[in-house]
Amino acid sequence: MKISKKLWRIFGPLIIAVLLVVVVLFAPIKGHVMHDTLQRAANSLSVNVLKGEMIKDQAMSQNYVPFIGSSELSRMDPFHPSVLAQKYHRNYRPFLLGSAGTLSLTHYFSVQGMGKILNHRKAVVIVSPQWFVKKGVDPNMFQYYYSSLQTTTFLENAKNTQMDRYAAQRLLSLPSGKSDKIIAAALQRVADGKPLSAFQAFYVRYFKGLILKHEDVLFSRLFIKNNQPLLNKQAAKLPTKYNYAQLYQDALRMGAAQTQNNPFRLKDSFYTNRVKKVVKKLKGSQVDFNYTKSPEFSDFELLLNQFAKEKTDVLFVIPPVNKRWMEYTGLKQSMLNNFDRKITYQLRSQGFNNIADLSQDGNQPYFMEDTIHLGWAGWLKVDQYVRPFLKDLHAGKTNYHINNYFYTKAWQQRNPVTVK
Amino acid sequence: MSHWINLQPYENPMYILVLVIALIPLIIGLFMGKRIHWYETLVSIVFLLFMFDGDKLSQGIALIGYIIIEMIIVLAYAHYRMKPNSPNKTWVFVLAVALSIVQLAIVKLTPLFADGKSSLFGFLGISYLTFRVVGTIMEIRDGSINAKNFDPKKFIHFVLFMPTISEGPIDRYRRWVKDYDQVPDREKYVGMIGKAVHYLMLGLFYNFILGYLFGTIMLPNVQHLAMLSRHNFLGISWGLVGVMYVYSMYLFFNFAGYSLFAVAISYLMGIETPMNFNKPFMAYNIKDFWNRWHMTLSFWFRDYIYMRLVFFLMKHKWIKSRVTIANLGYLTLFMIMAIWHGETWYYMVYGLFHACAMMINDAWIRWKRKHKGLLPSNKFTKAMSTFFAFNVVCFSFLIFSGFLNTLWFK
Repeated sequence: MKISKKLWRIFGPLIIAVLLVVVVLFAPIKGHVMHDTLQRAANSLSVNVLKGEMIKDQAMSQNYVPFIGSSELSRMDPFHPSVLAQKYHRNYRPFLLGSAGTLSLTHYFSVQGMGKILNHRKAVVIVSPQWFVKKGVDPNMFQYYYSSLQTTTFLENAKNTQMDRYAAQRLLSLPSGKSDKIIAAALQRVADGKPLSAFQAFYVRYFKGLILKHEDVLFSRLFIKNNQPLLNKQAAKLPTKYNYAQLYQDALRMGAAQTQNNPFRLKDSFYTNRVKKVVKKLKGSQVDFNYTKSPEFSDFELLLNQFAKEKTDVLFVIPPVNKRWMEYTGLKQSMLNNFDRKITYQLRSQGFNNIADLSQDGNQPYFMEDTIHLGWAGWLKVDQYVRPFLKDLHAGKTNYHINNYFYTKAWQQRNPVTVK
Repeated sequence: MSHWINLQPYENPMYILVLVIALIPLIIGLFMGKRIHWYETLVSIVFLLFMFDGDKLSQGIALIGYIIIEMIIVLAYAHYRMKPNSPNKTWVFVLAVALSIVQLAIVKLTPLFADGKSSLFGFLGISYLTFRVVGTIMEIRDGSINAKNFDPKKFIHFVLFMPTISEGPIDRYRRWVKDYDQVPDREKYVGMIGKAVHYLMLGLFYNFILGYLFGTIMLPNVQHLAMLSRHNFLGISWGLVGVMYVYSMYLFFNFAGYSLFAVAISYLMGIETPMNFNKPFMAYNIKDFWNRWHMTLSFWFRDYIYMRLVFFLMKHKWIKSRVTIANLGYLTLFMIMAIWHGETWYYMVYGLFHACAMMINDAWIRWKRKHKGLLPSNKFTKAMSTFFAFNVVCFSFLIFSGFLNTLWFK
């Protein structure tokens, strides 16, 4: 064989492969997500949905409303918001965003990734007191939910505002923000209040950002968990007509039936799998838990600031902790009350007045599915706030006034007793 | 935040692209039948500079110091061995080896004594450089490297050979210098380019697709699952089983990918660096596995530690039983390898596990030899032993991964 022919055999396929890759990554493509894919994504709780943008953007521009939270969203009993919305043909459908370990910072980047889509729209946020631990978000957990795509979106839109500077600085304090050197340098510029360099802007918009967007369009609809059969099964257990009194009785009945094997009224399967073996160790183990001093308060401010920027009308739900469990583990109600005082101050003083404060309901029967997660009667109570709130999917007039004080260490560490 | 351009070997496809472009003049030269030595040196120096600049500068300084010290040791020993009628004393040889591993030993032991902090004398690739240096000293001792084929300049070049600097494969001076001294004829070189392109593509697939799939996408998921069930007895759960297999796959594809890049780039430079992996998961027993996994390291340990120890023990007749000698050899080899990986309990257990696996394997083979015809040998039994070996190896990698440390103690 002649040398030139040999060379062509070696490099021919290579050249073709390179061309194909370039076409896939840089050619202008737009994705359209099918109706049932959106439905599946909304209830999937899958990480790639949370980390993506296209599916969320398309869903929120229809009748989906972001339900932002953490592990409680996976408690899909018949009174879960997604089941109720489906069963009673509501004008909205929840788009569930969050799993165990998604805290304010993850949600901030996810929500800013949606950008203008949430302008004058509504959202529901379930604020777990358990987010507000001493050290704030766990870097490993954050990495697990970290989205490079949302970071490039952030950098594309970043301005010299307190919110953007703080977010950039926060990201740089975690390993995730340093994983790409050019991105890290760009974040540093934002944190310093400077615009991106020309090269950084090009890299973010036309290279990395473009590739990630294409990835999102091509791949994010794959590997979405399908919870629809479970939701259908749960919906079948509900009466055809929405009647609060009857639903409440059903909630008590189902709750009672599923919390038989322990004195704490934890769901049987939860108790068996997660608690039973260590139950002795847990007695009195939470006496010193404290959710009142945490960097999380400023991460949470980022989320509020983003909502204020887009004038999104938000209902905040503050869930309680199972009272029987608290008594066993020694978690203090007074500490929870202090947390409640601090977080409601942060909300109300800035004009976020839609608050479903359930912090005192930990002893209501079958309110919690297990230790810290809403269940049967709890979800039904949430619905009493959600239903009227979402009658109209467009935000009314909001009157937010963001206070940069909430970004300070002083606020993070402030003793709630001193808050008026 | 520094604005230095810093390039870590094969960290992303871009690095490979830049490196290949930089090598084009050299490739054309080799194609035309000429090795442009000065250009090769220039490219190596430039890439070394980019590897050890910016916040890695202290590593660069450590590297320079290392090279000077090792050169003095090797040249002194070569001088001693290559003069006519060299006495070839054992203590001189032992001293040369000991001195040449001092820096590596300091670097490896610092985290143990300094609360996990890494040593100032360390730099990326110190292990692999030391393996090459020690190998060379051993071959000088044996006389297979002698006045005829030893050249200090080429020796430096060999130790610092850029494509393999960070993670091997570990070549040997005699083999390397033979390639370096000649230019492959055009027919052969085109064949090498073909292989290089194939290895590069395979490496990209291994490292950036399969490695990413297992390491970045799947591993955090199974680790997450395993952590959720950490309260089980010994933390055993399906998630943990997932970690075991997913981590093993990640380790293989990531490392085999790197090795393929290094081999491919060497080929483009007209050097046939040996392969590092040969379908390790197809091994039919643990010994076979080590002949297929990280081969250049296994062979290094086999030739320079295991064989020498066994030979030494037999010569001095301290121990009679050949079986005991072999077992002692395994234990020494794998415990040294464990210490080299780092002073944590899980590397030690990993080393011990493999040493035991080798002993059991030998015992099993002896038993089979004694009872010939008792067990059938067919396709099915072969498949079974491969399956068994695979699982033993994956379990050892679960220990190696350190995940059990996180699961149990963190």
